[in-house]
Amino acid sequence: MSVNGTVTARALGISRSRRTSRKGIRNGRLAMLYLSPALLVFLVFTIGPAIFVLYISFFNWNLLNPSLSHFVGGGNYTALVHSSDFWNSIVTSVYFVGATVGGSTVLGLGIALLLSRRGVVRRIVRLAVLTPYFTPLVATSIVWVWIFNPQFGLIDSLLRLLHLPEVGWLQSTTWAMPALIVYTLWHDLGFTVIIFLAGLATVSGELREAARVDGANYWHEVRDVVIPQLVNTTLFVVVITTIDSLQAFTQIYTMTGGGPLSATTTTGFLLYQQSFVFYKTGFGAAIAVVLFVVIALFTLLQLRLSRRAA
Amino acid sequence: MQRHRRFIAIVAVLAAVAAPLAASAATTSHRANVTISFMEAMSSGTQKPTLDDLTQNFESTHPGITINLIAEPNYGVLQQKEEAAIAAGDPPTIGQAYENWAAAYASAKAIIPLDGYVNSKKVGVPGTFKSHIWKGVWNDLFLPDGKIWMWPFNKSDYVLFYNANMLKAAGLSVPTTWAQYAAAEKKVTTGGSWGESLDTGTLSAPANGTLEYLSMVKAFGGTWIKNGKPTLDTKAAVQALQFLDDLKTHGALQVGTNYPEQTALGAGRSAFAVSSIAGYPYMLAAVGGKFNMQVAPLPAGPNGGEGNAMAGTNTVIFSKASAAQRAAAWEFMKYLSSPHATAYWAIKTGYLPVTKSALVYMKKYIATHPYQKIAAEALQYAGGNPPYAWWTQAEGYVAEAMQAVLDNGASPASALATAQQKAMAAASS
Repeated sequence: MSVNGTVTARALGISRSRRTSRKGIRNGRLAMLYLSPALLVFLVFTIGPAIFVLYISFFNWNLLNPSLSHFVGGGNYTALVHSSDFWNSIVTSVYFVGATVGGSTVLGLGIALLLSRRGVVRRIVRLAVLTPYFTPLVATSIVWVWIFNPQFGLIDSLLRLLHLPEVGWLQSTTWAMPALIVYTLWHDLGFTVIIFLAGLATVSGELREAARVDGANYWHEVRDVVIPQLVNTTLFVVVITTIDSLQAFTQIYTMTGGGPLSATTTTGFLLYQQSFVFYKTGFGAAIAVVLFVVIALFTLLQLRLSRRAA
Repeated sequence: MQRHRRFIAIVAVLAAVAAPLAASAATTSHRANVTISFMEAMSSGTQKPTLDDLTQNFESTHPGITINLIAEPNYGVLQQKEEAAIAAGDPPTIGQAYENWAAAYASAKAIIPLDGYVNSKKVGVPGTFKSHIWKGVWNDLFLPDGKIWMWPFNKSDYVLFYNANMLKAAGLSVPTTWAQYAAAEKKVTTGGSWGESLDTGTLSAPANGTLEYLSMVKAFGGTWIKNGKPTLDTKAAVQALQFLDDLKTHGALQVGTNYPEQTALGAGRSAFAVSSIAGYPYMLAAVGGKFNMQVAPLPAGPNGGEGNAMAGTNTVIFSKASAAQRAAAWEFMKYLSSPHATAYWAIKTGYLPVTKSALVYMKKYIATHPYQKIAAEALQYAGGNPPYAWWTQAEGYVAEAMQAVLDNGASPASALATAQQKAMAAASS
């Protein structure tokens, strides 16, 4: 019997693995079938156009009549390397990204810490912080153009009231970028606050209590217990806001048009300007490819750092 | 019902037209049905209903032709939509286009030249009609190859809006020269008021302030282009920019964005606003009856030179249209420029009649709106956008030069030298 039982069990085991394998293949095929509509959309509207952009970056591309385009090989990339406009846009992008990412992260965490406790007032403030994130970029950008208006705007009116010198804001090469950064932080802070609030909910309450019992004050508790446990959350926020900032366009288009004197022309805006205002589509495509590579590298970095942190 | 009555009124007016329209209708009455599309940006204020009226009237007098109007919210979107449609191989039959857009479309073979239609014995326009089109408007229809690629539609030019009450209080008369204008601006500049506000725009989107400056360059005896190349750093150009810089330094000129000239004048803070005559209804709305707003021609330059930048677009026929569609499109374009239609368009929208002959039908309107005649007569010498695709970039460099001087303390000569260098590179690429 035992021999029979063993043979039967072995036989059962072989049969079970074969059944599991067949089931796995069937499930895999079903999964592909269910995913195929989404994959098709992704292929047509994301992968396809991305490959096409790479293709036209090797041409002096005529947007209006592609048959008049001619192949230039790496000419657009060479022109990019020698373009002062491109390198200026890189510096401008670093400025914009650095300020918005740094600001979003620090302010987002700070506000989340303040709002993490319960209370009616905190719930109202949480709503007030989050609401701008859901407002349309164009409409709110236009409102902020008026807030920054030197003659009729709110900010300069307050400065005049306090007998302080007026600032040109969006007309000033010095202040146009800070004005854009202020708007971007106002609009996007809600997102990072929500992410940090979610992260704070996962922080071990016991560790925090233990720290308090050991005599740690609130600041030490945050620095030594809370922040280390928020590494993954912080990483996520930094990478996502970096990608968003690199792709920022609407507020630049509406508020400053890339000016004054290209002071707010980021690489993303330069791409639009070259491709759709000056008709240098091939050159613009080369900029798009470079931007894609930068964003892809950031994403890979995030994945690597996340795995290391885990 | 109201719309129907208005439509009947228009038909009654236009039914009084002499032979050309009736003859045109007679010759086309047996045409096979054809549908054409017109992509345009006449969608705000009175523009849309007026274009609808004109279109309906054309269709009623040209049986067999149906026109689909494709309205876009503004010129920026219009250009993007036209470009996208061309790139997709599905452009409309006709579209509004600025001169530099038309240059780009022509080089991409996306539009057709109109000489064959204009000069045709059967469907063309007679010599008298051509000679009655304002000289500046007529010159604006050509691209550098000497062919007619565009036909006039909604034209405007720049005028001087002013606060008559403020000038009277300061004991000033309406300036007729730029020198008088500067003196007037400085006189009205106190703690709470100033001469004018302007918006230079940016590299990607030059604004009214840049067109004001370019008008001044012409008045000062300068040019924008010569022999197909930009001339942004002439002596006159430097003088004109220095003129504006002096006013800024004095505090008489303020720089802003989002139509600051309209806001400042409307708020009663500035004495003057230089803007397109097509902006008259918007200026009037901003003023809201707070004071007496009047209109004067742009001042003259040092030697009496006249300079004005023509604004507004022409219409073009896209090359994908069939022969029947092209013929129908030409009939419609011709109709829009006919004296009665262009007079009706001007009266209703604030744009200008493209031909002198239209003024005869606007006598009653001009009696109560004399500024229309002032602005229309400036079309005789106004200059449109130079018809080169690179002008978009060159004009942007002019805006940047103005920003460098007015906002960032650069010298006009160096700023314009930089603009000229960049514009030459764009023209040569």
